[in-house]
Amino acid sequence: MHRWGMVIDLDKCTACQTCVVACLAENNIALIGPEESAKGRTIHWIELVPYIQGEYPHVKVRLIPRPCMHCDHPPCTKVCPVYATYLNEEGIVAQINYRCIGCRYCTTACPYTVKYFNWYEPRWPDEMRGALNRDVSIRTKGVVEKCTFCHHRLLKAREKAKAEGRDLLPEDYVPACVEACPSGAMYFGDLNDPFSTVSQLSRERRAFRLMEDLGTEPKVYYLSEGM
Amino acid sequence: MMKLMDRFNEHRINRREFIKCTAFLGGSLIASQLQWTQELMRRAEAGGLTPEEEYELIRPENILYSVCLQCNTGCSIKVKLFRKNGTAIALKIDGNPYSPFVSLPHLPYKTSPFEVTTLDMAICPKGQAGIQTAYDPYRITKVLKRAGKRGENKWMTIPFDQAIDEIVNGGKLFGHVPGEENRVVAGLKDIYVLRDPKLAKEMAEDVAKILKAKDKKKAVEEFKQKHAQNLHYLIDPEHPDLGPKNNQLVYLWGRKKGGRGDFALRFFNDYFGTVNTHGHTTVCQGSLYFTCKAMSEQYQHNKFGGGRKFYWQGDFENAEYILSVGSNLFDANYGPSNRNLRLIPRLAEGKVKLTVVDPRLNKAASKANKYLPIKPGTDGAFFSGIIQWIIKNKRYDERYLSNANKAAAKEANEPTWTNAVLLVKIDKNGIPGSFLRAHEIGLTPIEKRKDKDGKEFDFEYLVCMKDGKPIAVDPNDEKNPVRGDLFVDTEIRGIRVKSALQIIFEASSVKSMEEWSRICGIPVKEIEEVAKELTSHGKKAVVDVHRGVAQHTNGFYNVTSAMTINLLLGNFDWKGGMIAASTYNTTGGKEGQPFDLGKLKPDKITRFGISIIRHDIKYEDTTLFSGYPAKRNWWPLASDIYEEVIPSIGDAYPYPIKALFTYMGTPAYALPAGQTNIEILSDVNKVPLYFACDILIGTTSMYADYLFPDLSYLERWEMHGSHPNMPVKVQPVRQPVIAPVPETVKVFGEEMPCSFEALLLALAERLGMKGYGKDGFGPGQDFVRADDFYIRMVANIATDGSPVPDADDREVKLFLDARKHLPKTVFDPERWEKMTGQNWRKVIYVLNRGGRFQDYKDVYKGDYVSNQYKLLINIYQEKTAATKNAFTGKPNPGYATYIPISTTLGKSPKEYGFEEGYPFHLLTQRDITMTKSRTIVDYWLLSVMPENSILIHSTDAKRLNLKEGDKVKIVSATNKEGLWDLKNGIKKPMIGRVKITETIMPGVTTFILGYGHWATGAADIMVDGNLIKGDPRRATGVHANAAMWIDPYLKNTCMFDPVGGSVSFYDTKVRLIKV
Repeated sequence: MHRWGMVIDLDKCTACQTCVVACLAENNIALIGPEESAKGRTIHWIELVPYIQGEYPHVKVRLIPRPCMHCDHPPCTKVCPVYATYLNEEGIVAQINYRCIGCRYCTTACPYTVKYFNWYEPRWPDEMRGALNRDVSIRTKGVVEKCTFCHHRLLKAREKAKAEGRDLLPEDYVPACVEACPSGAMYFGDLNDPFSTVSQLSRERRAFRLMEDLGTEPKVYYLSEGM
Repeated sequence: MMKLMDRFNEHRINRREFIKCTAFLGGSLIASQLQWTQELMRRAEAGGLTPEEEYELIRPENILYSVCLQCNTGCSIKVKLFRKNGTAIALKIDGNPYSPFVSLPHLPYKTSPFEVTTLDMAICPKGQAGIQTAYDPYRITKVLKRAGKRGENKWMTIPFDQAIDEIVNGGKLFGHVPGEENRVVAGLKDIYVLRDPKLAKEMAEDVAKILKAKDKKKAVEEFKQKHAQNLHYLIDPEHPDLGPKNNQLVYLWGRKKGGRGDFALRFFNDYFGTVNTHGHTTVCQGSLYFTCKAMSEQYQHNKFGGGRKFYWQGDFENAEYILSVGSNLFDANYGPSNRNLRLIPRLAEGKVKLTVVDPRLNKAASKANKYLPIKPGTDGAFFSGIIQWIIKNKRYDERYLSNANKAAAKEANEPTWTNAVLLVKIDKNGIPGSFLRAHEIGLTPIEKRKDKDGKEFDFEYLVCMKDGKPIAVDPNDEKNPVRGDLFVDTEIRGIRVKSALQIIFEASSVKSMEEWSRICGIPVKEIEEVAKELTSHGKKAVVDVHRGVAQHTNGFYNVTSAMTINLLLGNFDWKGGMIAASTYNTTGGKEGQPFDLGKLKPDKITRFGISIIRHDIKYEDTTLFSGYPAKRNWWPLASDIYEEVIPSIGDAYPYPIKALFTYMGTPAYALPAGQTNIEILSDVNKVPLYFACDILIGTTSMYADYLFPDLSYLERWEMHGSHPNMPVKVQPVRQPVIAPVPETVKVFGEEMPCSFEALLLALAERLGMKGYGKDGFGPGQDFVRADDFYIRMVANIATDGSPVPDADDREVKLFLDARKHLPKTVFDPERWEKMTGQNWRKVIYVLNRGGRFQDYKDVYKGDYVSNQYKLLINIYQEKTAATKNAFTGKPNPGYATYIPISTTLGKSPKEYGFEEGYPFHLLTQRDITMTKSRTIVDYWLLSVMPENSILIHSTDAKRLNLKEGDKVKIVSATNKEGLWDLKNGIKKPMIGRVKITETIMPGVTTFILGYGHWATGAADIMVDGNLIKGDPRRATGVHANAAMWIDPYLKNTCMFDPVGGSVSFYDTKVRLIKV
């Protein structure tokens, strides 16, 4: 069984936002205006979180790309009254949109604030709808949504492997953000395979995870010198 | 809660309701065609896709390779199409693996396109969002004519042919506009008066004589006598050097690349015969270009000439140390795709050291080994300190600098050489002038030589000193190596001379290290450490600069200083050193290329006269010379001076114009103090006729009388070229990948989409120009369509040097299948095959790969880059030293030196009271998600940053009692109200939200360019009586360019660098007022 995980090398990341836009495009994420955005209602499955330490000019700046951590002990799934969010057998924290009743317990429980409530009916300029990804369903107003590690890509890759009569290879499945990174700063793969790139990197000296002390056991690792 | 939702609903507008007008994409047929994808998507969700619909995007015939234009980098892209019922829409854009702009190493060129369908390379967020630029509902599809006053946002749609007729013939075109009932507009036929090529050539030659003449009056009289019959062609017979009336048509462009550029210049320069074709270089990094042009002037016969408008950047793939000054790596500066690939892995692995010098702690600084804050505008002082230290400590490349000619360079295995050892004459005031000629000291007489065409000329030897003895030097001599003494200060036969390097050393030593340090704010220890680091990596260290260094009033000398350091290191053409761009030729003329487009110009006209921006000419040589200060600046060393075009039109200096055409540029938005341009554009007396070509109603094109819809970058041809940091020889080809959005029109009997090209072809047809229509290129070669031009260019690319292979049958079929959704108006393979004959399959080979790219294995040769500059580089610029400042009359220095920020009259802005009470130094910055004026239409990008802000340091915020999110207004001494006056009754205040940060120098403030629009879909407009509502999301944020200083002497343009032409972007002082 696979256990999917991600590694993000902050020493290579230049905060170019490509992963963010790639995710918007891939996952049909609804767009809202500045007024609503100012209320904190923008939906970004992956977002760049600024981390600035020190005083000018002795400042350490990191902009940390933050997708869902896909925790092994996710706090969000425990509070869902309707089992709309759960940890699947491959380690992905999944969300069943049709089951969600919009109580927003999970958005509160998640320490990484990666769960987003749809405050509005999703809308795009009409002409833009032409560019929507037909592999990803559109979430309606009143449900919570989140990063799925581009789960639809896994399904597609598995189907393809099946059609070709072979096993799924780890390189068959790459989320959109990882694929789009122009700096080669993002890695994805099977953490259960001790020889996979992500496994090896996750054991590196520079590796750390966000808020490890909470015991959530995230499957997104970061690499950074001196952090 | 109810109230909240009401408010919310006010801010969301259902586009389906408001764009009803068919003049916009949002109201057109295409919009409804696009909706099939929604239906498709619903079926996909239900698992109901047919097998054909699956895996559509990885089929080779659903992928077209082209070039992005969401910024100027021009990354090669693969656009994935989804097809239905013979039409197709672009669904996704990724990077093209054949191209070095998005991959390292890139695929071998011979790789079959069938093998690479699943290979998607990364591009940046703007590139991904490009689909939204192409399918923007605010794109116009029909020709619009102004129905109200200029800029009033009232339009009517008119037929293309009517618009062309009106522009060509003129007349009372705006009788329907109050106040313009009786205004007669001159049409192009009245401007295009001198049409006889023979006469034009003769008059041009005679005007050249006037410019050379000592007695101008006499020369003008002679001219008038000789040309008594022809004086009516001239703008002013008393000043024949202003040229013919044809010059009263001005063509001004913004982001234009090769191909389209050549297409336009054929029309305006070669046939219309106007000298007024001006680009936008100086708003970008003009002084970087024109310094490098001055440094690349070559010694020809007896003077310097033939300089190239280009510049050098560092080879980041191999450099070991990079000093990056004022260059916004990772956010701008040709990236991130290209830069990150080459720099990021090496930085992470510690293979390269990076020092970033900037008043902002930018993204590159956050990755750098060292960050040094510098006071804005003092880069020259910092560089002077470095130069002084390097020379004092003898850390320069002595061998490189001592080479006086090509032969010596060759002997030393150096591709380039300098004039560091040549002797410069010093006048009685101690000012360096021109190089000493050998005949002046009786060393070697003037030689009679013959050029390639057998024409005789006088060759003058220059002089260097070797072991105290003068030696004659021919810098281009390939046979007899001459090396000279580096530091010379002596007298020969009563002539005081110094070596060029001596002059540079002295200029860097006019102040002590401590004084340089005090000026720039960087500690002496740090300057010394940088200098030491620069000189500790052999040829693999570079000083890499960009806008932050160039866009000041002292830009030219800042860049000269930076490049002088590179010359001290001798790193040009070396792996890891300074490199220049290299491209496959498009215009032909080389052996084996089928179409010499430079010569396929039957009966082309010679243009002559002084341009409206007075470039490429010395004030003192003209009949307009009337002492100092001149009314406006003269530009003997720079061109494409964006900030001078419309303001000069406003002053009618040197002459009034009759018509203006603009393309893909918005001087009002992009220029510092751009509001000065709005005032002139909205005045019909100053600009009697203004027509523009744009994909939407933009922040400047909204002032046009006629607006022609254009093709977006996914619909058109362009030869994008390269950039100086790219070591690979390339020619990315932009080609139509989606069907054209604008309406179809008929020109020369051919159907084509309304576009830039259709407009120019139609004008050429109506004006009866030679060089167009049947046999336009020459016998048997018609020029009636855009592709007649561009396909010929692709054939030239394919055959430059060793030709590309022929496409095989399978590739030919792929070529046709992949374009089956394109209408005949833009895709006509039979015609193209006939046009290119035996080269047809080579053309296909190039287009199937999105251009031509040199193989990675050939990019470096040993320790050198293989695409070399290989010429003399001037450390001392004789040509510059022979020019004078048009305001002060003082000679311009020809060497690296520090000049403080000043107004055009050479005074400190302080003297005008510009700084008192304005405590903040205003900068601008580019963020990765925005490209100045054109990406506000991309909602994916707006989602990342819906609004920009005004950044200040936390200590400043505390002092001013400002909190995060507070609204403040930006005001300056030349815009005390803090307003954009749009001259249409609307005054847009420069108000933005404060963002408090630790990443900026205290006392400095900045904002991200790209927000605060007043058009581009942000404003309400009337078309044919229908109200088209603007989208408020496009109007958010602040654009503070209007706060930038207006020059106190010129009064209608921003401050600028009087030598290199750059606008002053980073010199203004402002105050922030809490609103």
